[in-house]
Amino acid sequence: MAKTIMVVDDSASLRQVVGIALRGAGYDVIEGCDGRDALAKLTGQKVHLVISDVNMPNMDGITFVKNLKQLPAYKFTPVIMLTTESQEGKKQEGQAAGAKAWVVKPFQPAQMLAAVSKLVMP
Amino acid sequence: MTISIATSNGVCHVNVTGEMTIYHAAEIKAELLPCLELGTELEINLSEVSEMDTAGFQLLLLTKRAALAANKSLRLVAHSPATLEVLDLLNMASYFGDPVMMPRTVH
Amino acid sequence: MSNTEFDQALQTFFMESRELLEAMEESLLGLESSPDDNDAINAIFRAAHTIKGSGGLFGLDGIVSFTHVVENVLDRVRGGHVQVNGELIALLLSCRDHIGMLVEQIAADPAARPDKELESVGNMLLAQLKSYQAGVTHPVCSTAPAASCTEILPQTGNTVESDMWHISLRFGQDVLRNGMDPLAFIRYLDNMGKIVHILTLPDAMPFALEMDPESCYLGFEIDFQGDGVDKAAIEEVFEFVREDCSIRILPPHSRIEEYTQLINELPENNIALGELLVNCGSLTRKELEQALYLQEALRSGSGTEAASKLGDILVEQGVVQPELIAAALGKQKVAKENKSQESKLIRIQADKLDQLINLVGEMVIAGAATSLIAQRTQDAALHEATSTLSRLVEEIRDSALQLRMVQIGETFSRFNRVVRDVSREISKDIGLDILGAETELDKSVVEKIGDPLMHLVRNSMDHGIETAEIRLQRGKPAKGTLRLNAYHESGSIVVEVGDDGGGLNRARIFAKALEKGLVTANQVLSDQEVYGLIFEAGFSTAEAVTNLSGRGVGMDVVRRNIEALRGTVQIDSVEGKGTTVKIRLPLTLAIIDGFLMSVGSSSYVVPLDMVMECIELNETERQETRDSNYINLRGTILPFIRLRDQFRERGKPARHENVVVVQYAGLRAGLVVDELMGEFQTVIKPLGKLFANLKGIGGSTILGSGEVALILDVPTLIQRAITLESRALN
Repeated sequence: MAKTIMVVDDSASLRQVVGIALRGAGYDVIEGCDGRDALAKLTGQKVHLVISDVNMPNMDGITFVKNLKQLPAYKFTPVIMLTTESQEGKKQEGQAAGAKAWVVKPFQPAQMLAAVSKLVMP
Repeated sequence: MTISIATSNGVCHVNVTGEMTIYHAAEIKAELLPCLELGTELEINLSEVSEMDTAGFQLLLLTKRAALAANKSLRLVAHSPATLEVLDLLNMASYFGDPVMMPRTVH
Repeated sequence: MSNTEFDQALQTFFMESRELLEAMEESLLGLESSPDDNDAINAIFRAAHTIKGSGGLFGLDGIVSFTHVVENVLDRVRGGHVQVNGELIALLLSCRDHIGMLVEQIAADPAARPDKELESVGNMLLAQLKSYQAGVTHPVCSTAPAASCTEILPQTGNTVESDMWHISLRFGQDVLRNGMDPLAFIRYLDNMGKIVHILTLPDAMPFALEMDPESCYLGFEIDFQGDGVDKAAIEEVFEFVREDCSIRILPPHSRIEEYTQLINELPENNIALGELLVNCGSLTRKELEQALYLQEALRSGSGTEAASKLGDILVEQGVVQPELIAAALGKQKVAKENKSQESKLIRIQADKLDQLINLVGEMVIAGAATSLIAQRTQDAALHEATSTLSRLVEEIRDSALQLRMVQIGETFSRFNRVVRDVSREISKDIGLDILGAETELDKSVVEKIGDPLMHLVRNSMDHGIETAEIRLQRGKPAKGTLRLNAYHESGSIVVEVGDDGGGLNRARIFAKALEKGLVTANQVLSDQEVYGLIFEAGFSTAEAVTNLSGRGVGMDVVRRNIEALRGTVQIDSVEGKGTTVKIRLPLTLAIIDGFLMSVGSSSYVVPLDMVMECIELNETERQETRDSNYINLRGTILPFIRLRDQFRERGKPARHENVVVVQYAGLRAGLVVDELMGEFQTVIKPLGKLFANLKGIGGSTILGSGEVALILDVPTLIQRAITLESRALN
């Protein structure tokens, strides 16, 4: 059974490329375009991993993760934060919120795939 | 995740269905340990376990240890692919001492 | 990843970048008036951030490296380390333009080599950005900071035989709760090379009651073989649990001392641990004995110094590298609500939409034919079915057209930049007011309206709005105002370009037109007619002709462009107070609700929303109006045109005649026709070039019967009716 990954980012092209890479590796992918949208789409279905950007409109990544961790169905779901090297502060904040993994933007699809498979094998 | 328990001739048969993961760890622990009191032997059927993570594996380990301490026997039977993969990866099949079909040659 | 998928994603990236750059420009311009607007600053940052992030995914290094520096500066702005001022805004606008050029260059040719000129512009901008950057510039690194200590210590002294890496893992209790599964890391490690041996250590797990099922108690001793794998690579496997896990990695052929240290540091009983290492093949029994012996020696004090030194090395080697760079970030405010509603939008290619509209158009015609046939059959059930069908077709048509409707705001907001740049260029202080940005119109119209608007805006700025000195003399505020406005009015959209400048000088325009031979000296013209003369080819009243948009085209082009859209231009002006140019355009170019009528054997269509009422001409009125061009409509004079005369329809006038009262731009006229045939959905087919000069005809359409009907150009006909009438009066 394929593992499901949710990708949350306001960049449609980023979601598209990450989605292509993940699906190619055998994962199922669902997408959210910001924190609010992602929460609306998480209705209790099994999600093995969440990848989330920090800077997003409507609801940023930190708030999203805090909310996600309040939901019983997702409180143990691993989260990869997409940070930039200049966002050290955000990384700390993300970790405090419960996102213990991170990938630094910009990244290549292969780097994302490596980070994902450290947490969840397809 | 559901656990069904049946006792016959002093053997307690436990059937775990679904995920043996951290989401259900508390539940599994609360159901599994008392089973040791139900008979002299405990047999856990893993054929319906769809997913097992470290938390799930730890509980098998905990039960095995508790069984050894209480001088009772614990058998894991009918390992599902998901559970086999974990026992194999951690090289723990021999610890449990159950006959399993190892998909990989011995290291 | 297949190429087509990748290309599609790349297209998304281009589109997204354009949108982000537009938003960035808008916010940058907004900062000019309110430099502390955190929302705007966040939006600008996010735009750069997203373009960089996504650009990296596509390997667009040129975009990434440039945008990285911009993002860096923006981050400092966000943190309050850099103050926003006009100079910085100007620089950031140039950077935004540069990013746009980089994106467009790749959009035009993904394989293009870096353009020398573009590169030098980029370097110049980077040099300017430098002064805003932090003292320490962070390199763009494409991976998470890797552990730096990768070299293996010189192999001196006694080394172990094992040619495998030895990895000791003791996971912290919280890893599971944090979503990190040790099993997953071990699987990954096994994929990277080969786990030759693994020992699972449950020693830390308490007995049943105290054991928390959500805590992790496990440790692992692993012998690992990997071709070309270095220490950093192994460390990276566990990068996400660095803080939650103690990891010790011994390279192949490590010294026995290092194993001693390892045994020492691990929580388990030393002897047992040693046995363990022997068991898993890391150490031979002899090596273990040596190690334990060494341990004793160290403990007895003789080797304290050596021990601590060794410890240091191991700390360096085995301990997590603390992240060195901690950017000094100020408290960042959470990005607030943004107008972005992407989740509710889907992107469709424009040509797919066009195809849909075309098909709907064909369906409208086919539907009309079906209705016609149904009417002939006198079959009630068929009648009913076709009328339901017609209603649905009508709804589909409306929905399809609605798909193409876009708000004019995006077009308007482009002018923020134009007004800003031009007012600097010509040294006038001019502000822009935008009204009715949410007014919707057909995308095909929006695309074509940009150029005419650009001309009108530049014309107002160049010639309309006076210099600050003159404005002050005239008692006006020194800052001029340009106004863009849009609203719907009876089936048309009106777009206004207004200014509070000097207004048009009627006398001067008339004199100029006389000089150019456009009018004759004794011609009587209304104000609007005189103003309209500035749209004539070759007309220009400005003493110094500025080269508009570098193209030097005149206002006549503006009018021609608008007329090509079946629109009209009208000027209102008050001398000394300002000028407003009104562009009136049809809402859509494709399909209209028409009103069908006939003269003799020909059918004509007018847009239904221009029809005010229909009246029958009775015999007396027909007699009365035989030689005049107007009737008395409830006390007001209504000029009219006989379509029979206008289009030289042969044959005798019908027994009954009707007047269709039409209105456009506040003017009314009557069209005299034979028969009224009612409402009719019409797909507009443009007339060929051959008929381009035909006055009064706007297009054609095909009726259900297969006949062709002409679509009347109502504005022209009204104008003609009024002219005829006034001539008659004179």
